[in-house]
Amino acid sequence: MHGTSTLLNWILWTPFIGVVGVILLPYLFSKDKQDNVVRWWSLLNTIGSMILAVVLYMKFDTSVPGMQEQFAVNIAWIKQFNIFYSLGVDGISLPMIMLAALLFFLCILSSWTITKSVKGYFALFLMLQGTVYGVFLALDFFLFYVYWEVMLLPMFFLIGIWGGENREYAAVKFFLYTFFGSILMLVGIIALYYASGKGVDSFNILALSGGKFIDNQVHMFGTVWSFSKVFFWAMFIGFAIKVPVFPFHTWLPHAHVQAPTAVSVILAGVLLKMGTYGFLRIAYPIFPQASVQFADWIAVLGLINVIYGALCAMAQTDVKKLVAYSSVSHMGFVMLGLAAMTVHGMNGAVLQMFNHGTSTAMMFLLIGILYERSHHRWIVRPDGTKGFGGLYTQLPKYSIVFIIAMFASMGLPGLSGFISEALIFLGIYQKYTTITVLALFGLLIGAAYLLWMFKRMFFGEVIEECKSYTDMNAREIFYMAPLCVAVIVFGIYPTPVLDIMKSSVGQLVSLLAQFQ
Amino acid sequence: MQMSYLAALGHYIPELIVCITMVGLLVLEATYSKDEHGRGLLYSGAMIGLFIAFCVSAGSLTDLPLPIFTNSVVIDPFSGFLKCIMILGTMGAIYLSSQSKDIYNNLKAEFVIMATGVLMGGMLLASANNMLILYLGIETLSILSYALASFRKTDERSSEAGLKYALYGGVSAGIMLFGMSHIFGVLGTIQFSEIGPVLNNLTATQLSILIPSFLMFFAGLGYKLACAPFHMWTPDVYEGSPLPVTAFFAIVPKMAALGALTRVTFVFFQEPGLLQESWVGIMQVIAALTMTVGNVGAIGQRSVKRMLAYSSIGHAGMMIMGVVVINEVGARAILFYGSTYLFMTLVAFLITSFVNDKYGNDHFERFNGFIYRYPMMAIAMALVMFSLAGVPPLSGFVAKFNILSAVVEKKYYMLALIGGLNSVVSLYYYLKIVRLMVFKESESSEKIEGLGFMNQAIVVALTVPVVLLGIFWSKLIVLAESAKILIQ
Repeated sequence: MHGTSTLLNWILWTPFIGVVGVILLPYLFSKDKQDNVVRWWSLLNTIGSMILAVVLYMKFDTSVPGMQEQFAVNIAWIKQFNIFYSLGVDGISLPMIMLAALLFFLCILSSWTITKSVKGYFALFLMLQGTVYGVFLALDFFLFYVYWEVMLLPMFFLIGIWGGENREYAAVKFFLYTFFGSILMLVGIIALYYASGKGVDSFNILALSGGKFIDNQVHMFGTVWSFSKVFFWAMFIGFAIKVPVFPFHTWLPHAHVQAPTAVSVILAGVLLKMGTYGFLRIAYPIFPQASVQFADWIAVLGLINVIYGALCAMAQTDVKKLVAYSSVSHMGFVMLGLAAMTVHGMNGAVLQMFNHGTSTAMMFLLIGILYERSHHRWIVRPDGTKGFGGLYTQLPKYSIVFIIAMFASMGLPGLSGFISEALIFLGIYQKYTTITVLALFGLLIGAAYLLWMFKRMFFGEVIEECKSYTDMNAREIFYMAPLCVAVIVFGIYPTPVLDIMKSSVGQLVSLLAQFQ
Repeated sequence: MQMSYLAALGHYIPELIVCITMVGLLVLEATYSKDEHGRGLLYSGAMIGLFIAFCVSAGSLTDLPLPIFTNSVVIDPFSGFLKCIMILGTMGAIYLSSQSKDIYNNLKAEFVIMATGVLMGGMLLASANNMLILYLGIETLSILSYALASFRKTDERSSEAGLKYALYGGVSAGIMLFGMSHIFGVLGTIQFSEIGPVLNNLTATQLSILIPSFLMFFAGLGYKLACAPFHMWTPDVYEGSPLPVTAFFAIVPKMAALGALTRVTFVFFQEPGLLQESWVGIMQVIAALTMTVGNVGAIGQRSVKRMLAYSSIGHAGMMIMGVVVINEVGARAILFYGSTYLFMTLVAFLITSFVNDKYGNDHFERFNGFIYRYPMMAIAMALVMFSLAGVPPLSGFVAKFNILSAVVEKKYYMLALIGGLNSVVSLYYYLKIVRLMVFKESESSEKIEGLGFMNQAIVVALTVPVVLLGIFWSKLIVLAESAKILIQ
């Protein structure tokens, strides 16, 4: 079944075709039309991308665990190093591809109001999409690393040019942090290449998997260390910075607050998931024994993320920062699910990656919509006065969507966040009972800060400034609607997503179980 | 293997062409008046001569390695590859000098001649097969470099640079000779080809003399390479020298010294044992120190030229990592690194030079909003900066990947980690310039005269390999791999 093998190529390269189009197409049109040409072209491109993702979903065989043979692409790139251009998709990457396709489409719509160098913005945005696909599709470790790093370039410029007041600092911090993590990963990649004997499979993520490096050793500082432990931590830090896991999270609030709306959405919705995807695809399968050994650490760090993120969110007066910290907290649940290493926990983790993608995207988009009207994001201004008040009466449609987003993010039963968090708790309870109980408090704090924020912004007296705000327009409703549907549908009936992932996740869990 | 001198000269054509070019340029310079026309003739003469030398050198890369002149010079693909890099670097620096206002018009001819002379010394150094030729190469390289550094006669800093360079150079050459004489005393030969067998049966006393002597020997090379702790002269010399000279110093003498260092290391330390262990230990520390000193030093700089100078120390440290491993993987990585470093450095210095000429200084702020004025140039500069920092998919990343993999293969994980962390540090100051170019408002909208169509086209043409070699590096790595060192 190799007939459809170009599909992944198309998915990966469509955004890059889009970039070329954004650069060249405007020259065919007069000056005043150029911006709109760029916007519509980008929109068409992301629609095309979505269609391809749906085609992939239709052709995906949910019964097959692991990589789907019929989509595999494998071409030699650098023969001397046995580096391949190899792509593949399985039940863990498919939900991420679908999520990315959806969010990028919506973000193009939400970026319609960008007026500063439109061409550059959309070109970088599509480039970002391409690199995100690259990370989720790559099966060659070198290729993975290249996409992982190239992704930083568009992000750096998107934050730095179109961001808020303090954008330069945020962009540089983001870049340096991630680059630091990647370097550790790079040393690990090369070490694995030599440890596996420089053969044809030495950069192949699948071939490296399965715990092959248990007996290898590393000599450093005059002592002998276990190869897999040392490089598990190298990879761990690389991915943990992306997630971000406490204490590597400090870049995130800056990057989020300064980034333009659509970039925040992508950052929280897709890029953070690349970190946890890295655990699932690389750190766990390649170093299963070290992963099992350090599961306690992962769980504790996940718990710190949950509690600390939630407490930080509670203290924020900037609503975007609040949501940014809530992401830290929610990614903590994913880490907990990963630490569980049980079927329920892992399924919950992957589902939470997907669900957090949709719910946090809603939050950021909504904050962006509000920001376009108010030009500030203070719940309470630095001088102590209220930033917003009585929005509920002023903006009824907006408020309803906000409530859906908020409850989804809080994990209210019936909405998507609940299912994934419940699965995670189910998976982790037996292994880490205390941590589960403490993490439940994280949920409680989560409810507290969200409701408190809602109360301060939407209830109470309408402050003078808010009276001039207009409710959501058709375009805004149009791009919020799919997310609302996703949040509600997957809250009631998550089976489609779970079906995709379960056999792949099951395979990973059984691999880990061998080392328990 | 003995051959007649005439037959040997047949293998020495690139050097001969460079020599003839240099002499020819001297004649040209004396004959023609120093007006625009005469200079044009001179530049074209230099370019043609060097280009022919490059073609011959590149064409003979696949030839069998051969020691000539009673074994004192070796023509092998490794040195041939380095010579190609050096010739291209010299051509780049000469072009830069023709465009730069940093070199007075009446001295431009001298720059070309002296640069060709330095190149000559560098070529000699790269293929030196005994200690005297090596010393000869270093001195040819150095003496002309001292003059180049003090090229801006009226500028105090330039004179200071020349003097400092000469003083340091003199001292380190003396130390080097001292070390060489001890090595000769212990081993009884200066021929690299004869050293290998002698090393196998040494007494403990002899060993204890050899190690310090090697260190002294290394001082001379290390000084040319500007590696810590012999780097003290670099900031002042690089700062004081005119910009094209700095660009030249950052490429040609470095690559030559690196080539010599690699050969020396291969000759003396290929056999495992105490000697190799101590040397590797020392070189690891030196590589780590050099990188760190260069990159940390670059952070605080205001002038882009000075930043690039410091960062070139960092890159030298990176390349020394390829020497530490003492194998062909390392040599291959060095060659790859050198060829990408050449293009990146040239682009960075070219753009900086035009900005410097326009505003009289090259402080970072002069690049503010560059992308809104010269988008192509800003993109080229940004690509080069990312590439220097080692961000994929640019060639600088592949170069670092090669170096790191050579180091990791030998399981020097700490060194690899230090190298990697240095990339992160370097990213900080490279980002600074990208940040200013892209995120800041433009200070002025005046045209920069240097950046005409022709120069922009040249910059773009030099940037293309920086990008392409990052994606399609299969060919170059094969070429670098085939460029083996001959120890005979």
